[in-house]
Amino acid sequence: MDSLGYLFAALTPYHVALALGGVVAGTVVGSLPGLTATMAVAVLIPVTFSMEPASALILMGAIYTGAIYGGAYAAILLNTPGTPSAIATTFDGYPMAKRGDGDLAITLACIASVCGGLVGALFLLSLAPPLANVALAFGPVEYFWLAMLGLTLISALSQGNLLKGLIGASFGLLLSCIGVAEISADVRLTFGSQTLLGGIEVVSALIGLYCVPVLIDLVATPDRHLKVEAASRGFRLHEALQSSWQGKVNLARSSVIGTLVGILPGAGGSIAGLVAYAEARRSSKKPERFGCGEPDGVQATESANNATVGGGFIPTLVLGIPGTPPDAVILGALLIQGVRTGPNLFTEHGSIVYVFIWGLLIATLLMLPAGMLIGRYAYRSIVTVPKAMLVPTVAFMTLIGTYAIRNSISDVVIMIVLGVLGWILGRFGFSVSPVVLGLILGSIAEQGFVQGWIIGAAAENLWGEFFGRPIALGIVAFILLSLFSPLLLNRLRLKRELASAD
Amino acid sequence: MPTDRQNRDVGGMVIAAIFILTGALALWDTLEYVDADSYVFPRTVAGAMVVFCIVLIAWSLVRPVAAAPRRSESTPRRVGLVSAMLGAALLMPYTGFLISGLLAFGAIAWLAMYDPWTRGRLIIYPLVGSAIVLGFYFLFHKVLLVPLPAGKLLSV
Repeated sequence: MDSLGYLFAALTPYHVALALGGVVAGTVVGSLPGLTATMAVAVLIPVTFSMEPASALILMGAIYTGAIYGGAYAAILLNTPGTPSAIATTFDGYPMAKRGDGDLAITLACIASVCGGLVGALFLLSLAPPLANVALAFGPVEYFWLAMLGLTLISALSQGNLLKGLIGASFGLLLSCIGVAEISADVRLTFGSQTLLGGIEVVSALIGLYCVPVLIDLVATPDRHLKVEAASRGFRLHEALQSSWQGKVNLARSSVIGTLVGILPGAGGSIAGLVAYAEARRSSKKPERFGCGEPDGVQATESANNATVGGGFIPTLVLGIPGTPPDAVILGALLIQGVRTGPNLFTEHGSIVYVFIWGLLIATLLMLPAGMLIGRYAYRSIVTVPKAMLVPTVAFMTLIGTYAIRNSISDVVIMIVLGVLGWILGRFGFSVSPVVLGLILGSIAEQGFVQGWIIGAAAENLWGEFFGRPIALGIVAFILLSLFSPLLLNRLRLKRELASAD
Repeated sequence: MPTDRQNRDVGGMVIAAIFILTGALALWDTLEYVDADSYVFPRTVAGAMVVFCIVLIAWSLVRPVAAAPRRSESTPRRVGLVSAMLGAALLMPYTGFLISGLLAFGAIAWLAMYDPWTRGRLIIYPLVGSAIVLGFYFLFHKVLLVPLPAGKLLSV
């Protein structure tokens, strides 16, 4: 079958219905804090058993891409990322919503997600086998430095105070160590508490650290949650399209960054969003507006995190190494169906893989109307619902969402305690984003660090192991750039101002 | 006129001092680990955190910051919200998820209410609240098959 044949096979009413249903279900699930893309895909796996492999893949891919986009709703409207990928969306999305531009932010996020999703899927369609080799070039030390890059980026970006960001990131890394150690089974940092024995679950910590502080502040004042505009302004599609066209370079660059980061197993949308956000701010003519409701920030994050969907499928399908947790679930479903992933998949099972990739492209395009409609409804609901109904509803969702992740009351208690901690930290200028990212990247960083340390110690070349490999050195250079470039630029700006004053 | 002392980031320094204590506790805990695989990472991270905190305190001592504006907000309502959420979590094993959820929803709705409780609101809000709690309970328990706690008191 040729390329056009695969496209027509993906365009059957059955496949289009699966793609649309998957996108809608994924968007709704992703918008609810606590319900992740992984959970949505995992719950629907039994439904796919009776389907053809290509149809099953289209449904799962559509749910996945919809859920990643859906995470933006809660990030923009509640300052709570629905999924970890949307952490950086809160930086500018929530300030936009606070000033009354939440509807515009949601439409911008939708357009950016579609652009990112299309770029990721096109890379998957055209360059999957050669790009998969990038994943193989990354060893444990490179993963360690990649995690460190994510943490330094968020420390430098989140609130302007680098030291406080680095302290928060270190605290997050320490939180990720709590519980039973994976290799040695040592019980770490529990101080005898049974509640902490299972460790801190990432999504419940994310809900607590982001959502509970918002609720604590919402309940304390009679002010409305978001600014309400007197007249309805529709989708503000024209405005959003104009802004997207002006930021086309930002969109394209962020989508490519998202795809490339998505290829690296375990890195995921959270790092992709941050790297794209940092790059958008660095190359912007108005960097001071980032963090105060700059549309380019929302576009960078949302295009990058949706591009990781296509990027993550590259190592999953070509190497059998899942790029992200939902990819791992999808890989499991494929194995149950008898489809063996690997370098030969594209030649031996072309009818499955190419129909799926076209299906993913169609699902991404369908996300534009579906996402904007759902987004409009979500925005209107959040803006018009009285505070006495909004606060308890969100609070109840945090309780049930957290409990459902591991069926654990301990997780609910930890979520609330972390929320209070996040609120206290926020009062004193410590952003919660580095803490959350430290917790998310802790296991990748520790695994890379310990493995690199063991290899370096065995070879009696610890320094060379961490600083002697070209990719690792490249990432270290980026880390130094992200840490010190704001300081250097500030110095230069002050010098220039002094010179012009003289 | 505010002095330098008033403008120092005292809160930030206190938090940094608490983080130093946390780091010291973590370092002390790592002494008990048997395997090097277990202690090398937390020890490095805790050490780095302590160093960052010391630098932050030193930096804050020499560099004053702008004083934060005072805000008039209700602390009792904040405490009430956290207590209601924690109470619901701790009640779950005894009363079950549904009842503890309904109680928490009612308490938080009451705390978040700044408008007068008219007769209409007294009828509509509890009805809508119950529908939301029951809807989510049905979605998670019956559709997603999450085993939500039934409650020891109700199962006797």
